Amino acid sequence: MDFLSPSTWEEALAAKSAHPDAVPIMGGTDVMVELNFGRRRPPALLDLTRIPQLRDHGPDDGYLRLGAGVPYTTIIERLRDRSPALAQAARAVASPQIRNRGSVGGNLGGASPAGDAHPPLLAVDALVELASVRGVRRVAAREFYHGPRRTARRDDELISAVLLPEPAGPQSFSKIGTRNAMVIAVASFSLALDAQARTVGTGIGSAGPTPLRAIEAEKFLASEFDWDGAASPSPATVTRFGELVASAARPIDDVRGSAHYRRHALSVMARRAVSWAVTDYRKEIARCA
Amino acid sequence: MESDIILRVNGREWPLRVDTRTTLLDALRERLGVTSPKKGCDHGQCGACTVLLDGRRINGCLVLAVACDGSEVVTAEGLGTDGELHPVQQAFVDHDGFQCGYCTPGQVCSAVGMLEEVAAGWPSAAGRPVADTPVLDDAEIRERMSGNLCRCGAYANIVTAVRAAKEVSR
Amino acid sequence: MSGLLENTSTRAIGADIGRVDGPAKVTGTATYAFEHQLNAPAYLHPIQATVVRGRVREFDTRDAEAVPGVLTVLTHDNAARLADIGDAELAVLQSDEVAHRGQVIGAVLAETPEAARQAVRLVRVHYEERSHDVRFSAARTDLYTPGEAEDDEQGDLAGAMASAPVTVDHTYTTPMEHNNPMEPHSTIAVWEDAGLTLYESTQGVHSVRSTMAELFGLDPERVRVIAPHVGGGFGSKGPLHPPVVLAALAARLLPGRPVKLALTRQQMFDLVGYRSPTIQRVRLAAEPDGRLTGIGIDVTAQTARFKEFLEQAGKPTEVMYAAPNRRITHRLAALDVAPPTWMRAPGECPGMFGPEVAMDELAVACGVDPVELRVRNEPGTEPASGRPFSSRNLVACLREGARRFGWQDRDPEPRRRMEDGWLVGTGVAASTYPTGQMPGSVAAVRFEDGHYHVRIGAADIGTGAWTVLTQIAADALGVPVTAVRLRIGDSSLPSASLAGGSTGTVSWGSTIVAAAQAFRERHGTAPADGAEARAGLPDNPNRERYAMHAFGAQFAEVRVHADTGEVRVPRLLGVFAAGRIVNPRTARSQFIGGMTMGLSMALHEDSVVDPRFGCVVNHDLAEYHIAANADVVDLQAHWIDEADPYVNPLGAKGIGEIGIVGTAAAIVNAAYHATGVRVRELPMTLEHFLA
Repeated sequence: MDFLSPSTWEEALAAKSAHPDAVPIMGGTDVMVELNFGRRRPPALLDLTRIPQLRDHGPDDGYLRLGAGVPYTTIIERLRDRSPALAQAARAVASPQIRNRGSVGGNLGGASPAGDAHPPLLAVDALVELASVRGVRRVAAREFYHGPRRTARRDDELISAVLLPEPAGPQSFSKIGTRNAMVIAVASFSLALDAQARTVGTGIGSAGPTPLRAIEAEKFLASEFDWDGAASPSPATVTRFGELVASAARPIDDVRGSAHYRRHALSVMARRAVSWAVTDYRKEIARCA
Repeated sequence: MESDIILRVNGREWPLRVDTRTTLLDALRERLGVTSPKKGCDHGQCGACTVLLDGRRINGCLVLAVACDGSEVVTAEGLGTDGELHPVQQAFVDHDGFQCGYCTPGQVCSAVGMLEEVAAGWPSAAGRPVADTPVLDDAEIRERMSGNLCRCGAYANIVTAVRAAKEVSR
Repeated sequence: MSGLLENTSTRAIGADIGRVDGPAKVTGTATYAFEHQLNAPAYLHPIQATVVRGRVREFDTRDAEAVPGVLTVLTHDNAARLADIGDAELAVLQSDEVAHRGQVIGAVLAETPEAARQAVRLVRVHYEERSHDVRFSAARTDLYTPGEAEDDEQGDLAGAMASAPVTVDHTYTTPMEHNNPMEPHSTIAVWEDAGLTLYESTQGVHSVRSTMAELFGLDPERVRVIAPHVGGGFGSKGPLHPPVVLAALAARLLPGRPVKLALTRQQMFDLVGYRSPTIQRVRLAAEPDGRLTGIGIDVTAQTARFKEFLEQAGKPTEVMYAAPNRRITHRLAALDVAPPTWMRAPGECPGMFGPEVAMDELAVACGVDPVELRVRNEPGTEPASGRPFSSRNLVACLREGARRFGWQDRDPEPRRRMEDGWLVGTGVAASTYPTGQMPGSVAAVRFEDGHYHVRIGAADIGTGAWTVLTQIAADALGVPVTAVRLRIGDSSLPSASLAGGSTGTVSWGSTIVAAAQAFRERHGTAPADGAEARAGLPDNPNRERYAMHAFGAQFAEVRVHADTGEVRVPRLLGVFAAGRIVNPRTARSQFIGGMTMGLSMALHEDSVVDPRFGCVVNHDLAEYHIAANADVVDLQAHWIDEADPYVNPLGAKGIGEIGIVGTAAAIVNAAYHATGVRVRELPMTLEHFLA
């Protein structure tokens, strides 16, 4: 197994172009598990730990640009106001030790449907930045997940960053697991409201072959939500939203939970997310008034 | 394929030629004879291999040794000073925060790293609102120590030990 | 027998002393099996069968042998022939037969662990595959009655059931569970002219020595087993399993070089045993006031087709409650699986789940408080044998636990309390574990350099043996603990029985007491330098006359989320009656450790077998959940003073296992109280509470 250790971003892109089957590794928390399991025997590893800009974060034309290697801990510690849903998800990732190393880029690279970072990226309509020697392109997270562990990333591309829109309303992430900590989600859900565009975003994790959106639920809540006064939606509306989220999932039965339970849990999390959103929205109105 | 690296472990420098597949954990245990970090699962699922890498707690089994060239590694063996146990270690002894001892060096490193994280003001997953200023109550300790499994079931005593160590360090 | 230590001032026994091995363990300098620093070791990685049943036709090892650093590939073709000692599990590489998926069919020996592992992946194995059957069910038509557990019948249970005003008749299940000590099973084997040295992760160095000597046809004196520290075992490191034999076979091919083998966490699910799943039909016949007229348990468990192991889950029903009609049966399903083994409180742990949940169901049916129900059925003598108890304080544990837990204000109606969306309930269950003693231990005491050197080949698997045996020796010799130098964990020391069945402290401790007495008798209180004496464990005639068991009561508070079914256990409180407590600090750890594992059993542990492939699919610690720190909230263990003059000279009962017994039932009973939903299978998950 070759070990490629570029020290600049340009070298990294060149290496990936020359070795499209090289597996990028940074924090190691996704890739190493695969390696240590013996599930994967890549011909080469492409170590990105020496590329400083992958750990950078900062504003970028109305977005928060988050380098693909920014550890979850940094998101929790420094970026929680700029990316509330993702910060909440970051706090739920695996263990504190893994949060010190693992990054959104790694989650996107592995594209496990159970990855905690995916639902917030879908809900907030984040962009994924992909780079190669051919150039840079940005793909909406909503277009990124193609199938089980298959994504829009091409073989010669590296994930360089994610771009998170400025929060324009309440955001949340929640997850249900069978252990109280250090647990792979049985199901997870993220909700983001955009008060300016008056749109709703959703993301569903661990309940389908890829991370999913509940598009019908988004449209429904966007039309029912009281964007001016944040009056509590009727119980029927909340229930309907939960049903629409659940029906968007494509879960299976596995050792963590049944498809039936996953749908149920999603409807519960969706209903909770609405009530949190209403509360947060009202706080925001009160602050602006 | 092999690479030459330098690891700094508990204040001592080790020049080392490693197979690029070798994890930091295996390099410490099998190459340097530093067996304080333990191998419990090799997948970042148990925390027994927790060490401080450049001051932060990490799983030694999820890091390649070759990627640690020039890094500073502190294991439980390197925490004390002048032959004295670190306050966290003393608290584990006083409150019997272990039984078989196999997860213990990882628990200790995790607790030391965690207390520093709290001092730096990082929130954990225990409370929902993200902007909370952390207060290290027992629920926070449990959550923040949940990356370290203990099969003997010493958790109740581990929480007591960490709480006691926090008081000492104040 | 009694009171040997009461004549001396017991300064150390009962003292709250920190572990003597504490500093070594918190710094990580305590040496576990794989960590002994030996010159130029080679690394061994097993090749495991990828079919469930059949035979190996051919190995193609060319690619594996071409990996740089590979020393040899070990298969049944080049492995040494072993003696047939009647244990098919240990006949490693003795034939081409495959009896279960994951079975060791070979191994690669290499200069580095990376090379060994890579080469194993490159070995191609051609099998002749046969049909297999791993389906565990009580409805199988080929269940059989194991020889060691004939049906045990008193009176007429069926008649009692037919005529009783109140009956309970339900089936309860516990799943396959894996011990998963944090330290994986590990061996370093060194084969030299002088013999075989094993650095082994084991609960008993002498049993490893005798078994390995027999297998390899060696004089036991030529086998040395070293295990000063052991990273947990919970039963799986009690009996020998294939890896240690494999390591010795490999070492024999490479004389003089240390061969290192540490199982991966995945291999721990294939090769070192597990707790059998159980199906328990429990029948209770009672008067309207809850007094039992009949009690029965019919247990179905699984075993490997090639090696029998019985999970004796019916045992506690011999002990717990008075009832004139009683029936206890065990049936086994022989499957194409790896053999089950001991796991913390084998028999008692699963065997107190069904009956203790059934007792809760009876309490509900009779409208009797579940604590009171158990008190009402307290027997005068051991029900199945009629022998008097050496001591039995279950009622005291129930009463003390109820008082500490705040049980008296409990509204018995289920589904009455809701807090912040969580349904809240409380439950109780009883615990029991036999007070055993294992024969065969010898201890030596030698006075040298102003210290008493006490030597016995005992094992500390986290129990605190290093500490409590030091305390016992100090009192038995009448000296401070600082005057005692203990050595354990080496087969070159006098022979010791296994750390198992909660017998370690009492067997080794009683042996040390005998050796100390022999020492004082021979050398007096002012011994000369070099004075030495040794003694074996004396017989205890009381063991024939009395039934000896520890008892306990566990109380749980459970919260179940009304919408999601998520389960939390905010409180768990146990009170135990287990004779004299040698060290309250380490004893408390034993109890809370058992209770924590019981909580883990209640909520998490479940090895899921895919019947098509015969393997455990959730074979790692991310998918096989054990309790994490955040799962354990307010967990307390207490004990009552219990003086038992009959059990042993220490007056102590083993405490390593009782903590896990009854915990799961208490939690399930509390969940019923919270929700009105009766769960009869483990683990209890959020799915049970979906309407």
